Amino acid sequence: MNVSGERAFAAPREAVWRVMNDPASMAKTMPGVESFTVHDERRWTANVKIPLGLGGLKMKVDMDKVEEREPEHAALKIKGHGVGAMLSMTTSFDLAEADGGTRMRWSAEVKIAGPVGSMGQRVIQPIVNQQVAHVLAALEREVQNAVAS
Amino acid sequence: VSKALELGGVYGTLTGDEVALLTDPFFQLSTEPGSKIEDYALAVGKVRFVGDPVAIVVAETRELARDAAELVEVEYEPLPPVVDARTALDPDAPVLHEQAGTNLVWQGVYEWGSWEDAVAEADRIVKVSELHFDRFNSTPLECDGALVEYNRGTGQWTIHTNNQFPGFAAIMMGPAMRVGLDRLRFVTQDIGGGFGNKITSHPQLTAMCLLARKLGRPIQWTEWRTDFHLSMSHGNERWFHDTEVAVKKDGTLLGFRTKALDDAGAYLRYEPLGGVIWAQVTPGMYRWQHIRVDFTQVASNKAPVSPNRGYSRMQHLWFTERVIDIVAHELDLDPVEVRKRNYVRAEDMPYTTPNGCVYDSGDYARMLDIALELVDYPSLEARRAEAAARGKLLGVGIGSTLDSGTNNFGQSQLINPELQFSGNNEVATVKLDIFGEIVVTLGTTPQGQGHETTAAQVVADILKCSVDDVYVRAGHDSYWNSHAGFSGTYASQFAVTGLSAVKGATEMLRDEIFRLAGAVFGGVPPEALELADGGVRIKENPEAFLPFMACGAIVNANNAGLPEDLDVTLNCRYVYRPPFQVPDVERKYGNLTLTYAAQIHVAVIEVDPETGYYEIVDYAAVDDCGKRINPQIVEGQVMGATAQALGAAVHENFVYDEDGNLLTPNFYDYHVPHALDMPPLSTGFVESPSPFTPLGTKGMGEGGGAGIHAVCAAVQDALRSRGGALVWDSCNPYHRVWEMLDDPGKGARVTVTAA
Repeated sequence: MNVSGERAFAAPREAVWRVMNDPASMAKTMPGVESFTVHDERRWTANVKIPLGLGGLKMKVDMDKVEEREPEHAALKIKGHGVGAMLSMTTSFDLAEADGGTRMRWSAEVKIAGPVGSMGQRVIQPIVNQQVAHVLAALEREVQNAVAS
Repeated sequence: VSKALELGGVYGTLTGDEVALLTDPFFQLSTEPGSKIEDYALAVGKVRFVGDPVAIVVAETRELARDAAELVEVEYEPLPPVVDARTALDPDAPVLHEQAGTNLVWQGVYEWGSWEDAVAEADRIVKVSELHFDRFNSTPLECDGALVEYNRGTGQWTIHTNNQFPGFAAIMMGPAMRVGLDRLRFVTQDIGGGFGNKITSHPQLTAMCLLARKLGRPIQWTEWRTDFHLSMSHGNERWFHDTEVAVKKDGTLLGFRTKALDDAGAYLRYEPLGGVIWAQVTPGMYRWQHIRVDFTQVASNKAPVSPNRGYSRMQHLWFTERVIDIVAHELDLDPVEVRKRNYVRAEDMPYTTPNGCVYDSGDYARMLDIALELVDYPSLEARRAEAAARGKLLGVGIGSTLDSGTNNFGQSQLINPELQFSGNNEVATVKLDIFGEIVVTLGTTPQGQGHETTAAQVVADILKCSVDDVYVRAGHDSYWNSHAGFSGTYASQFAVTGLSAVKGATEMLRDEIFRLAGAVFGGVPPEALELADGGVRIKENPEAFLPFMACGAIVNANNAGLPEDLDVTLNCRYVYRPPFQVPDVERKYGNLTLTYAAQIHVAVIEVDPETGYYEIVDYAAVDDCGKRINPQIVEGQVMGATAQALGAAVHENFVYDEDGNLLTPNFYDYHVPHALDMPPLSTGFVESPSPFTPLGTKGMGEGGGAGIHAVCAAVQDALRSRGGALVWDSCNPYHRVWEMLDDPGKGARVTVTAA
């Protein structure tokens, strides 16, 4: 499944970039993070519990930053393993200065395989949409906190 | 698995690595390259389909085991999947089994007669680019399960299971587990629906055996619905490409050739037998003489296939029926007339097909007449007009199947000449116990088809007693010695193999009773005796009567003084062996099954042209299974097969997405017909006793394929006035009908050329 969108931030591009490349800040935007480990500046691991319509899905999620052009572009490969589910995601974002703030264009290709992927087809799309909305709202807060501090 | 093991109440685990150490891969039936596939009870190193089990957790309760299973950590590395058989052999397609080096598992060319001769005689060649038979199965309400115990002292396992073909499971499991078959005691009771789907549970049973031995405790496994859909057997999905039909302008069918492409799924659990089973019914009901089928089977990242009610013949018969309707449509001929012109005729029976099978008896034209009468065929044009006035499109369709029964396992040699299987057999025991009880054991594994009832009828008929006096032990236990190598219930054979074994054993018992009574009466010859009223008597002196109770008591408990040469135990075991020869492997020629029950179904539907929704408004099913021992049971099988057909034709489909996820993994997304889905159903019958079986019976119950095609043909007939789309798929849910209405040119192409 492919999801994409645009988001405007009332903050300088550098501030948005900092938040989106700071593991600690990103951990606060992800849904259901139970622990977060930074291996190096490009590789992170999170243990998350993603709320599914049928119950929480525990996953170990490895993130690997595969592209980076500061301060405008980055891409991550994300792999998640859980019981009955495999998550595979490639996501990227592009930041541009616009109207005194920052405009972010983002896209993600999400694949969920395994029994959860089979059973949850009817519910996965709305759940993904819901989680994306949560992440973006959390990101907005993190950016505002960064600007304020 | 260490975190799972730490959980209180968890008894133990089993992983693929352990399985690879403790067992050998299951025996493969195929020649190379399929024979190189390594199949274990659990995935070893590589998962090949969603649902391929990787580890097992055993715990005090099922819920606890499921919780513990969530603690098992599996590192998956996603690989590109193969989910469309048509791309499985592409040069850049991912290969499922590295040992095989290809996704091709089996290939063979079947050719009988001469296509060139057919073309020379034909007026037209009708070409069909593609036809597709969908993937579904018969979804028994009762999923698989087992309770397995291991006796450390004797090294034997007792396997209480609902596997429906323990003989096959044993020959798969014994060598893999490196033990003799007598170490595997199979016990079954009424197992619930089987439909062939419960033949291939040997991987799961092997895992249970390993766990029972490892943990030193009985192991229970009950399959959940989603597990069944994801992991257990699916029916064969099959494509037919580049079909050509040689036909005369009057509709006389001369021959066809096609390229069949079969999707076996990720492992070969019973395959590639599907690559030959269809040949039992090569020409369908018709007198084609020139046939060529280029058969290819491939592996894909889907659940493995296995027999499914109508196994492999259903796909082929659907194809032949589809071809006949398309030919009739293209040549503007009446499908009824084309069928009647080409049916094998009653006077031609027994009829030898171009590939050497022998249709034992039947009258297909009469069956069709009865079916048409049941739907009041002459009134259809008036009903079509009436439906049109209501904005509905009315369509009528015909379908047929030959329910070939009692396999000659020698056909397996047509796919692998090295296989040492041929013929068939079944066993029964009938005994007279000490108080005169008549006790019957069956080698079959009853699934609720009424084996006990019909067996009791046969015994009572021969022994001239009441069916209430006959006790048929339910179930199957390999320790009772009441099993033969091919014992089981599958491939439409109980009424032939099972009942013939019962008949044989009962006749042995009858003859022993005569010999015993003759001795007791002081040297009366058997021909002077008769059975009546639960005993034996002298014909000329009926008062000289010995009840069965006395016979049983004399032999079992009061036998002093009986003549020394009186070889009577009143405990008779009989193995029925059908009269088969090994087929000619080079010519792929020979009799592959003993009997041919027949079914003709007619469906009348009304389609809403705005939405594609359709309703079956009238339906007839006519069956001929030879001598009917118990008509009520036959009727039940006919209705069940019809429900199977309607599910497969309208709703049931295992749909995979491009990543190999099954999108219909349980009844939430996979709709099976309920009582309310059943149409008004009329049934009829013809009784053409088989000349080849001891009772004149034929195996039956797998005739659902007739209905699948009847619905397809009805849809095509209904759409004739709205673009005339070609129905090229076996499953036509409402959205697909809407698509055909919306874009009639989409899908397969048909062309007609002069020969």
